Amino acid sequence: MQRKLTWIWGLIAVLLLLSGYALWPTIRLATMDEAAKQAAEQRDPAEWLRLRNRAIKLGLDLRGGMRVVMEVDKSQLNAAEAQDAVDRAKEIIRNRVDQFGVSEPLIQVQGEDRIVVELPGITDVNRAQELIGKTAQLEFKLLEPRENVTQILERIDVALEAKDSTAQAGKQPEKPEDIFDIFADSTRQADSSRTESTTQSETAGDTAAKAEEQETEPLGDRAFSTLLEPVGEWYRVTKEDATWIRRWLQDPQVLKQIPQDVQVAWGSKTEYAGGLEVEYLYFLKANVEMSGKYLTDARPSFDQFRKPIVDFTLTRAGGRIFARLTGANIGKPLAIVLDDRVLSAPTIQSRIPDRGQITMGNADYEEAADLAIMLRAGSLPAPVNIVESNVIGPSLGADSINKGITASIIGLLVVLIFILVYYRLSGAIADIAIMLNVVFLMAVMAVLDATLTMPGIAGIILTVGMADDANVLIFERIREELRKGKTIRAAIDVGYARALVAIIDSHVTTLITALALFLFGTGPVKGFAVTLAWGVVINLFTAYVITKAVFDLRKGYKSLSI
Amino acid sequence: MSISIIGKTNIDFIGMRKTTFIISAIVAIAGIYSLVLMFTGKANLGIEFGGGTMIQGNFDRPMEIGALRDAITDAGFTDATIQELTRAIPNSFVIRTKLISETTAGKGADIEAVLRAAFPDNPFHLDSIHEVGPAVGQTLQKQARLAALISLIGILIYVAVRFDFRFGVAATIAMLHDVFAALAIVYFFNWEVSVLVISAVLTLAGYSLTDKVVVFDRIRENLKMMRRKVDFVPGVNLSINEVLSRTIITSLTTFLATLAIVIAGGEVLREFAALLTIGIAIGTYSSVFVASPIYVEWENRKPKRFK
Repeated sequence: MQRKLTWIWGLIAVLLLLSGYALWPTIRLATMDEAAKQAAEQRDPAEWLRLRNRAIKLGLDLRGGMRVVMEVDKSQLNAAEAQDAVDRAKEIIRNRVDQFGVSEPLIQVQGEDRIVVELPGITDVNRAQELIGKTAQLEFKLLEPRENVTQILERIDVALEAKDSTAQAGKQPEKPEDIFDIFADSTRQADSSRTESTTQSETAGDTAAKAEEQETEPLGDRAFSTLLEPVGEWYRVTKEDATWIRRWLQDPQVLKQIPQDVQVAWGSKTEYAGGLEVEYLYFLKANVEMSGKYLTDARPSFDQFRKPIVDFTLTRAGGRIFARLTGANIGKPLAIVLDDRVLSAPTIQSRIPDRGQITMGNADYEEAADLAIMLRAGSLPAPVNIVESNVIGPSLGADSINKGITASIIGLLVVLIFILVYYRLSGAIADIAIMLNVVFLMAVMAVLDATLTMPGIAGIILTVGMADDANVLIFERIREELRKGKTIRAAIDVGYARALVAIIDSHVTTLITALALFLFGTGPVKGFAVTLAWGVVINLFTAYVITKAVFDLRKGYKSLSI
Repeated sequence: MSISIIGKTNIDFIGMRKTTFIISAIVAIAGIYSLVLMFTGKANLGIEFGGGTMIQGNFDRPMEIGALRDAITDAGFTDATIQELTRAIPNSFVIRTKLISETTAGKGADIEAVLRAAFPDNPFHLDSIHEVGPAVGQTLQKQARLAALISLIGILIYVAVRFDFRFGVAATIAMLHDVFAALAIVYFFNWEVSVLVISAVLTLAGYSLTDKVVVFDRIRENLKMMRRKVDFVPGVNLSINEVLSRTIITSLTTFLATLAIVIAGGEVLREFAALLTIGIAIGTYSSVFVASPIYVEWENRKPKRFK
């Protein structure tokens, strides 16, 4: 008996020491103010990082930051590409985030095709979303010669004119002829253009758009080309007209007029020209002359006009391609295309072997820096859509943690005082057990690298509330046995023995719930499940083993304060 | 002598079963009704489950909630709900809208822009934005159903292993009663069905069962020991009375702890903690007034064991 007791007290002492060691970084961090933290970081960054890593981590809801769930759009990929697209996207996003310089980011795959990114402490949300969500497919393309473009525009105008006359025809009462046309269409695809356009305009997806804006659609003579104003090798469109151009460019009849080897692309930015917001439209040769995969490095910089640019270096193979391309096209513009949008189209001045620069129009330096990061990290294998985003400001996090701590302390104190008043000296023993329960729980969280969230704090408080259950069961049983006239020693032994079953029962049910919550939970709820589960496991030791060890310190009891 | 909230009691709990069955049945029906509404999407589903946007922020100076509502409604967010928060930072509001688009992007920023434009001399500062697309909500609904199923199956297996059939059925019915009661509270207070609220309901299911286990343990123990001396119903009554002080004290301390969160824990946890607080009381009630009487009724009609 006595040897067993020594063994238990030794174990308690060791656990306390280990907990102190595990919690030391957390305590140090919590007691430092902002200035002291900065000083510590300056003094020894490596040591500072170690300290932070060993401290209990705060969830996004407590420290502020951003959480984004993205879905990888695999619809354009073939089966082989789709297989590892999500994992590849994850690695590339991790690369970008690392280069962006976020401390303790979390990037993981969720389910089939989702990627969760958590960036603690981020405040510039739009920038971060751009950075992780952009496909960043960089391509260099030549422009279609002006005379070819003029011909294409003419053909589009004609096609729209045909559409115009049909639209007017459509306003007249339905003619039986139309019905035949529909049948004709299904059997003879390439019939006269008039027949086709009738059925196309009735069936194509633009019917809704037509119904919406029918009265204002600016069809008429040379409808398309009048909205385009030639500027150098490309075209300027006012923002309002751009809506129409966009709509028409989805019209199958219009698309048919654009040859396969020509790509119509918009500029990446709108600009102000003559007091109007304008966009730029480019007619590119569809062939990709050179792509971002040949880049070995990319750095943001400024050109001689103090405009932000990205300097890039090419691989040897890339250098050969680029030298041939630029050498053969001196004096012509070369479009720099990012995700199907033209960043800029500078004129090739000379043959460029392996180093070049990306001019970015009126972009700011930050955009150049982010583009450089994306080019270094590589492009995503497929576009991603943001399906959930959660941004928590630092002040909100600080507010939450203050409230969490206040509530915890109040809850803990109320429970401790209640137990102390109700069970007196025995209550004091139970109180020590409750406090040890909390200390051990925090220590386990620190060791396991668990993240403390707001619901996690609730889990700790709930643990405190339930932690005394075991002791209440035991003490009530002891009281009962005493009332039955048992000796104090016997009452204690019976109380502990009989209550054990009920205590284990209650722990098992709580563990089942915690497990289900853990499987179900997103970040914060997982935090709750983790603290609850560990709380009850530790409780078995603190509430049963430790309090019993205290009672066993004395063999013969003459009186018992319970 | 020691302090006791309740000393040795001798209340005829089982004798009250006719009244309490009716109360419990009403509560359970209300809960099932609420559950059906939640499943069919008619309840106040949180944006995590239903999709939508929630933004939280504060104004420099006090702001009329009516003026705020008008500005947001005028901008087309006709379903927006606005709530003022009590935080360390004054004039804080949370605005929720369930208008959603496939990719979610931008609704939060739109609302922020609206507020900045509507109140140029009382600037709005954003504290948080949460945007959820419908696909995510559906995934989460699936996960919630799965979690409920897992915990239910887990608890049933446990009960089956731990008790004989009748105790198990009685405990499970009482636990379901508590879950339904919790759901009814969520629905009738029009609380948002959030991930946290669902977590609270599942936690309560576990807590409720614990309570039943303790009571049944004592019933079993007493009936075995006093088989010859005590009749069945008085034996059950005695057991409940004996564990009553434990039940009340444990519930009370847990209750005090969760009450501390309700009062001092802030908005994030308020409904979660309130539900736990009320749920603990319900769990205590159902151990005494639902689980035990069901067992008694069963035993009365088809005597099996301790007779």
